[in-house]
Amino acid sequence: MTLAVDTQASPSASPSPKRRANRSRWRRQLAPYVFVLPFIAIFAAFGVYPMLFTLRLSFTDWRGSGAAEWVGWDNYTYLLGNEGFWSSVSNSAVLWLLIIPVQLLLALVIAVLLDNAKLRLRSFYRVAFLVPFVTPLVAVAQIWVVVFDQDYGAVNAILNTFGLPDVGWLTTSLWAKPTLALLFLWKTTGFIVIILLSGLQSIDANVYEAADIDGASRLRQLVNITIPLVRRTLMFSLVLQTLAVFQMFAEPFVVTDGGPYGSTTTAGLHLYEHINRGDLGTGAANSFLLVIIVMALSLLFVRLLRAEDR
Amino acid sequence: MTTTLPGSAARPRPRRVSLVTVRSQIFLLLLTLAFLAPVAWALLSAFKPANRIISDPLSFDPTSATLDNFTRMFADVPIGQGFLNTAVVLVFKGAITLFFAPLAAYGFAKYTFPLKNMLFGTVLITLMLPTIVLIIPLLLQMKELGWVNTYQALILPGAVDAFAVFWMRQVIAAVPDELLDAARVDGCREFALFRRVVLPVIKPALAGLAVLTVMNIYNDFVWPVVVASSERMATLQVVLSTLAQNITGNRIGADYATITGELLAAASVALVPLLVIFVALQRHFINGILAGSVKG
Repeated sequence: MTLAVDTQASPSASPSPKRRANRSRWRRQLAPYVFVLPFIAIFAAFGVYPMLFTLRLSFTDWRGSGAAEWVGWDNYTYLLGNEGFWSSVSNSAVLWLLIIPVQLLLALVIAVLLDNAKLRLRSFYRVAFLVPFVTPLVAVAQIWVVVFDQDYGAVNAILNTFGLPDVGWLTTSLWAKPTLALLFLWKTTGFIVIILLSGLQSIDANVYEAADIDGASRLRQLVNITIPLVRRTLMFSLVLQTLAVFQMFAEPFVVTDGGPYGSTTTAGLHLYEHINRGDLGTGAANSFLLVIIVMALSLLFVRLLRAEDR
Repeated sequence: MTTTLPGSAARPRPRRVSLVTVRSQIFLLLLTLAFLAPVAWALLSAFKPANRIISDPLSFDPTSATLDNFTRMFADVPIGQGFLNTAVVLVFKGAITLFFAPLAAYGFAKYTFPLKNMLFGTVLITLMLPTIVLIIPLLLQMKELGWVNTYQALILPGAVDAFAVFWMRQVIAAVPDELLDAARVDGCREFALFRRVVLPVIKPALAGLAVLTVMNIYNDFVWPVVVASSERMATLQVVLSTLAQNITGNRIGADYATITGELLAAASVALVPLLVIFVALQRHFINGILAGSVKG
């Protein structure tokens, strides 16, 4: 300590260390700008600028060429009174209900089991659950198309061996959503398992030992100890997956093309349909309505978590 | 609790634990089987004669294994060019992300400067936006720059991912300030601090980011379809998706079985390199995510 005071007091003795100290302070002030600048430059050009452009576009009737006419809130009021928009949002909401509870519960159970260091084959499981996550989505979607084919698919072939009839997995509006939900669950659950594992790591093993001695069942330990202790990680996963479900686009685009009868036209796919028709203004407005929905849901979840904390 | 004898309480415990492990092993094995089955099925079926994939989807006869699906697929679509394009994008975009994202994150985490919070807030907002929102203006931008069907268009937009900066900031914020101050006293300059102190400390998370980045770029599909759909510029995923559209689009002169065979062959070819990379690096990836975690 005395040494530090000493060096701070002494620079007046010789000019060179003082100048060096000045220069290093100056460098330290300049440094963050230099570090952040490349990111900000790319981010501003290809992130912020297009975002603002879209915002402006959402108030015009622009169709990709010619002059854009300012139409005020017309695109928004049109969408809010449009059946297609609401059915796409409700399709996404149904998918959310089919996916999220199952995914969080399943991932939590898997993560709790894998958190046990003495579990055999532990690293095999960790890799196996992540295989679907790293598989290219387009490849996965194609596998789904073939495996769930009504006439030639492997799944119906399995059903037939048990004497069960064919199911129109991708061709009936009753089954298309669950089949799509299954694809999403299969593809992303492994990633949620790893995220939850990271939360579980911070739980002290003694807590479980104490619960064991008290004779608490595994289920009660899960409900009373594990879930409260990882609730932040669970909430993070919930927000992340809510975002992903409402933005879901490529899965229905490749597997069902939104059909049958629009039953798998998700909010993300509906948005694309405007763009594809050249109706850019409406597409832009649709994007921002989607952002508002997702933000509202995220804030709701965060608020619920806060209430829980109190 | 107090009434139970010590002996009677102690004996059943080991049995209960082992029963639980057996049950959880069965549960996990069945579940991993379900997770691996579709991929395994696709890989095996790609080597079956095309008509057998359809007539007999559940059997695999090694004696009738064939490369027909692969040769037909290679003749049909420019998948080699797709690989090359993906590789070019991967190298440049990956390098930009892995260098500039942690660097910016370091600036955000360890320094104070005006507008810092506003800038970082903007980063968080873009995390909420669906990527499709940006596609129209980005495409117009590319048209104006004359970048449609170029590598720049595939590389630069999204090159420094907002999520990467957000994640790395969390990780770097956890690096103790004392470590940096000690290095400063030793005469380390600001950039050298990043290179010699920060980067080595966050290596596990950086490895995690590397795998995630490679995966995202390799699997990226929506933006390439829009901006680089020409045969010369098509990435691997774009090639795959055009093949997939053949199945619904009823291509003239090709039957369902042939296209399905080609499709599975193409999916296998696309899948295997990433699986190999992932299995080779899985330890880094998993530990990286575990290291850069949201606690509690």
